[in-house]
Amino acid sequence: MNRHIFALQQVARRTITSSVRRQVDNKVPKKQKLFQEDNGMPIHLKGGSSDAILYRMTMVLTVLGAGYVVYELVNAAFPQKKT
Amino acid sequence: MAHQAHAYHMVDPSPWPLTGAVAALLVTSGTAIWFHFNSTILMTLGTMLLLLTMYQWWRDIIREGTFQGHHTPPVQKGLRYGMILFITSEVFFFLGFFWAFYHSSLAPTPDLGGCWPPAGITTLDPFEVPLLNTAVLLASGVTVTWAHHSIMEGDRKPAIQSLALTILLGFYFTFLQGLEYFEAPFTIADGVYGSTFFVATGFHGLHVIIGSTFLAVCLLRQIQYHFTSEHHFGFEAAAWYWHFVDVVWLFLYISIYWWGS
Repeated sequence: MNRHIFALQQVARRTITSSVRRQVDNKVPKKQKLFQEDNGMPIHLKGGSSDAILYRMTMVLTVLGAGYVVYELVNAAFPQKKT
Repeated sequence: MAHQAHAYHMVDPSPWPLTGAVAALLVTSGTAIWFHFNSTILMTLGTMLLLLTMYQWWRDIIREGTFQGHHTPPVQKGLRYGMILFITSEVFFFLGFFWAFYHSSLAPTPDLGGCWPPAGITTLDPFEVPLLNTAVLLASGVTVTWAHHSIMEGDRKPAIQSLALTILLGFYFTFLQGLEYFEAPFTIADGVYGSTFFVATGFHGLHVIIGSTFLAVCLLRQIQYHFTSEHHFGFEAAAWYWHFVDVVWLFLYISIYWWGS
């Protein structure tokens, strides 16, 4: 009985340890190469297409937001009273 | 590629100052619109834009420093000055709320009963949850220092563990404070006591959340090998901010929770 418990312990321990051993790799040298490439791209777009998507999304919100806030403030400044 | 003959960082043109400025405009105007016209869309849009700006701006700074090597010693010195000046401005921010507290509590007016705490206010026992909160933050100051030394020694695993522990302690503080807020026998609307208590501790709690977030970003960066034993200013900035948050709490505890009870 004790031998079985011991064996179960060993299996459990090895399973857990091997999942912990799935380490994070050091991707810094790869990133350094990507961001030091002489391609004239500005830093906010140099990471690839996902940068461009996020940038465009942010800019759309900025422009729409700026327009909307002007509209709301004008509306608030000139209240249309219903008679 | 043209090479510079100096150690300073001439940044690429960036859209984030503009998007950040528009975000600030949207959040502030949106809050006013919410108060007067019961619509939260502008404020929500502004907050989303603010989060997008912060994410991309700080992502770019990490790229410039860690991946492009632009954070030379003179540049790092500038960043250090910047963080110190920012924290100093936050000290003045809190100083204002402490001024308000002492103004009202040192000379309590007749409508309060001429006493502090004011008549009718049941204060929180400073030796219960508030004392635990003090211990939690002091302990987190120890763990963040442990993390720093681990990073400087190149001990990867202890650095990750102690930094994670610091963040957990920060979350524990926020959780406990949330419970206290829920259970408190007084509200923000309960005269000047309520105002000074919740505005001062409320802004402090917000800074705990900000500090915890900053430390969490550092944890992710430490896991991803961004920090070296010699160069880890992002972590140092987070640790400075965290100590500042701890010190503000100590002043809050002594002034409002203990002396003011």
